[in-house]
Amino acid sequence: MRTGALFAGSIVVAFAVWQFLSTVVFNPFLIPPPLVVFKTMVPMVENGEIFRHVAISLARVGVGFVTGCAAAIVLGVLLGRIGLVNDLLDPIIELLRYLSPTAMIPIAVIWFGIGETSKYFLIFWGTFFIVLINTTAGVMRAPVIRQRAAECLGASRLQIFLLVVIPSAAPYIVTGMRIAMASSFMSIIPAEILAADSGIGFLLQQSSVLLQTNRIFVALLTICVLGFIFDRLFRIAVDRMLSRYMSYIALT
Amino acid sequence: MRNVRKEFGQDAERYLALDGIDLEVSQGELLCLLGPSGCGKSTLLNILAGFEQASGGSVDFEGAPVRGAGKDRVMFFQDAGAALLPWLSAEENVRFALRVRNVPKAEWPATIDKYLEMVGLKEHRQKFPAQLSGGMRQRLQIARALAAEPKVLLMDEPFGALDALTRRRMHGFLLDIWQRTGKTIVFVTHDIAEAVTLADRICVMSVGPGSRITEVIPVALPRPRDAADPRAAAIFKKIEELLV
Repeated sequence: MRTGALFAGSIVVAFAVWQFLSTVVFNPFLIPPPLVVFKTMVPMVENGEIFRHVAISLARVGVGFVTGCAAAIVLGVLLGRIGLVNDLLDPIIELLRYLSPTAMIPIAVIWFGIGETSKYFLIFWGTFFIVLINTTAGVMRAPVIRQRAAECLGASRLQIFLLVVIPSAAPYIVTGMRIAMASSFMSIIPAEILAADSGIGFLLQQSSVLLQTNRIFVALLTICVLGFIFDRLFRIAVDRMLSRYMSYIALT
Repeated sequence: MRNVRKEFGQDAERYLALDGIDLEVSQGELLCLLGPSGCGKSTLLNILAGFEQASGGSVDFEGAPVRGAGKDRVMFFQDAGAALLPWLSAEENVRFALRVRNVPKAEWPATIDKYLEMVGLKEHRQKFPAQLSGGMRQRLQIARALAAEPKVLLMDEPFGALDALTRRRMHGFLLDIWQRTGKTIVFVTHDIAEAVTLADRICVMSVGPGSRITEVIPVALPRPRDAADPRAAAIFKKIEELLV
């Protein structure tokens, strides 16, 4: 209750400061005040324009994020479990992971065009390395004692892997996914600014060309709200489904 | 085990941990391996469990050489928080032992009840390991180990992390379980009093490199034992002189 009130208070104060700065201190054209932004937003919501952009950006993030996570978890488990695979691939991964999705935009456009595939690829790229490194770390750090204890109770190698190692790694994997989701929401924007004809990033780009600062602010606000909502949804889903794997970290 | 040797590392970094270890454990015996830190007693226990292989010599269990871990020899760890599955409740941890041992499902509830009852955790069956005290976690680990129905319990300083009072209670508890189930127990410790309280025989180990069992001391005193008993005190003093 108290945190909720503080949260709302913080937002209200921020909007008040924004209103004050943009009308009194700065040029309202460069920083449109919140009321102007709100007025701009209403027709965009009413005619569904904003939702079309949101939907297309979300679909891109969704496809890239889900495929990126799936591939990264599979490979991450192999890397964490099989020393030879790790020795062979780790150097390559350690080099490639410095290529941010933004750095990959030019080549992605040449490879895949400005259609959906290039965006899927870029989000996949960004997600993949974050989740991969976390998964590998989680699998490697599954306590040896826990595995040995299961082993001498009679667990087979497969049972140790599925019932001990993977659950032990779950908190690492989930944390990686959460970071990767935030990163996906960040990297979809440059991808759409540089190579798209729809999506929030395209809305930003188009409004910038037309010097519509009010519409730029609508797009920026939308990004903030989307990222926030999806992070909360992710946390709620994890709490619902995986809390027994997550909570013990805080307790022990 | 006969003439067991264990080396770690290679060439210049080679370290001889154990050398010439001869040891025979009889069925139903409670044997303590006693020695200072770093004497290789945990290594010896890991070799008995099958987690590690001896570099030389032979280790047999019931006439057959030990190859890898087997459920007839269950290891019991000091860090119960790490050894238990923290995402499973007390009863689910015991169930895990039954599941991996392919016990028919119909027998699960009764078996779980039996062992949780034996360790006095029946009221706490829904709790997760993190919600249990250190002593309760160790009792849960005992219940889980017993549910695997092993012949031998290998215990690596199991009560080392508990406070003195809880540890004393756990001693009484372990002896009670041991007398009721007739399991063979190999118990590693660096605490002389603990060894004198529990053991049928105490194997005193020397400091490495090349640790060996320097003395085997039988403790033929009735249980429960009293540290103030002059016979127990005499054994304590004798071991102390050997070690210090």
